[in-house]
Amino acid sequence: MAAPGVAQPGLPAGGSPPPSAAPGLRAFVGRPTASPQAAANWTPRQVWANNLHSIVGRAYPRVRGLTREPSWIVFQMLLPFLTTSSFVFVYRALDAPAAYIGFVVIGGAMTAFWLNVVWMMAAQLYWEKDQGNLELYFAAPMNVMSVLIGMAVGGLVMSSTRAVAILFIATFVFGVSFSISQWGLLIAVFILTLAALYGFGMMLASLFVMWGREAFHLTQLMTEPVYFVSGLNFPVGRLGFIGALAIALIPLAVGLDAMRQLAFVSTGPTGTPEPWIEALILVAMTVVFIGLARWLLHSMEERARREGRLTVRWR
Amino acid sequence: MIDAGLVEGERFDPGRARGRGTIDLLRSFRTAAALGWKMEANWTDPVLFFIYSVAKPVASALILVFMLQVIAGPAGIALRPFVIVGSALWSFVVSGVAGLAWAVLDDRERYRMLKYIYVSPSSFITILLGRGIARLAVGAMGAGITLAVGVIVLGVPFNLGDIDWLLLAIVLVLGAVTICALAVVMAAVCLQTRQESWDYPEVVVGALFLVVGAVFPLSVLPLPLQAFGLVSPLTWWIAGVRQALFPGGPSSIGGPGSLWQQLAGTLNPSAFEVVVALLLSGAVVTLASAILFRSGEARAKDRGLIDRTTGS
Repeated sequence: MAAPGVAQPGLPAGGSPPPSAAPGLRAFVGRPTASPQAAANWTPRQVWANNLHSIVGRAYPRVRGLTREPSWIVFQMLLPFLTTSSFVFVYRALDAPAAYIGFVVIGGAMTAFWLNVVWMMAAQLYWEKDQGNLELYFAAPMNVMSVLIGMAVGGLVMSSTRAVAILFIATFVFGVSFSISQWGLLIAVFILTLAALYGFGMMLASLFVMWGREAFHLTQLMTEPVYFVSGLNFPVGRLGFIGALAIALIPLAVGLDAMRQLAFVSTGPTGTPEPWIEALILVAMTVVFIGLARWLLHSMEERARREGRLTVRWR
Repeated sequence: MIDAGLVEGERFDPGRARGRGTIDLLRSFRTAAALGWKMEANWTDPVLFFIYSVAKPVASALILVFMLQVIAGPAGIALRPFVIVGSALWSFVVSGVAGLAWAVLDDRERYRMLKYIYVSPSSFITILLGRGIARLAVGAMGAGITLAVGVIVLGVPFNLGDIDWLLLAIVLVLGAVTICALAVVMAAVCLQTRQESWDYPEVVVGALFLVVGAVFPLSVLPLPLQAFGLVSPLTWWIAGVRQALFPGGPSSIGGPGSLWQQLAGTLNPSAFEVVVALLLSGAVVTLASAILFRSGEARAKDRGLIDRTTGS
């Protein structure tokens, strides 16, 4: 008997005419094909379409989940603004220049993306392994990079709500005045920062496939310590060599510094590279991180299969 | 029926069916605490665990120290004790409050054991408190190390002989109870929410950071926020610990033009006033947390949330 969806010679499935050699865009499972080989041989167009569907499918629960958890509005949009406000009041208590309030606001907005990258990108495959989904990802007929990209797209939408809320509410409440002269470069730097951040998250997610509970502790290690070396609430240039190292390695540090230089031109030199140089650093980071993510995912999958770790949970 | 657990001549112990009250509670708590500690600590060697546990609170303190340094320069050194103590204590709050909520999410979403714990004869809240105590211990370690880094590396002047030990002991005990009460509230919240709520405890604690005078005096806040701070037990806890460790140092509650000065007529609260305020506000929060947890637990049971798993 023929496999489901595979038409037997001379007997069209469901009375439809025999299919042509190249199945159409939507001819995946359950569609009539000439033979099992024809069903398995996907055209490049089908492969792309399948991967795009995978991206949308992985992003869907994150975007849709926003509307299914009303507490999100309070806990992820309003309360983080209060956390950012604390640092604003530290500067107010010290009679700091107004631009520093703006530094804190931009830093507070960007933490939304960083936290998303750390919690819901880097550690995500580790959670998926514990929940029993990881083996399904690797068994499904798709490129696992689609899952990572889908996670990134969904995560971007999730964290954008928090970042926008912090930015707008804080700007309004604390009267932050931006002095921007290069809008185009600022927007480019922002997009590049997000690309580098999520590329970094994809790379870490690939690494976390191999890890157990240390993944959770590493996510903890990547919050405040990274905030410190990235100069979240103060100019990173003041950290000297550590700041320079952070600019070279951590997308949050270089993105934040470039955005601050572009959004508060009046603050003068910060002791860090020009924004366009930092934009180039971000481009390099994006390419390197996504390339490394692809390579690491493949090699970690191989290693995890060999060591039998893909399905090992709760260790 | 034959009780397989009884040997000939041994009488049935009704306590096995009815429970043994406090003894059972203590046993559940001890077992849950031991389990929580093992889950926290047995994934690596002690040195790495120590580094991971203290890096976060030390970095939090360093962020604030650098903010002081950038703006105030050498003059900021005088404010370091204020910032270091507040920051160290806050890491204790973050760990303590997050512990119970993460125990709920861990056991429900990852290990899928919450339903079995819930139907076991042990008290649910006792087990959660036991699980959370491990993180409280980690937080206490982080707070201690942050203070030590402040004294040894950052030159915070500190004299063991000056410490008001009685005040310190009282406020530490009352503060720990209050933090557990807040943790119970967050556990009740996380019983209702999806798995994305991993960071809810940190977000809530981060919001409270604004009004408790942890790293800046309340007097810089608008009056309504100062009023909110004065009813928070964490404000009094931090002020009490500061007063015990650095007697005569600047207070986070009072100061010229503060709401406290307007209400009480004194510049700063005395140690007695701090303890009474902490006791009263802590009692209210603890009572409220018990009520909220009961209602949250009932709602979760009613809506089938105890064995729910979610994806994101």
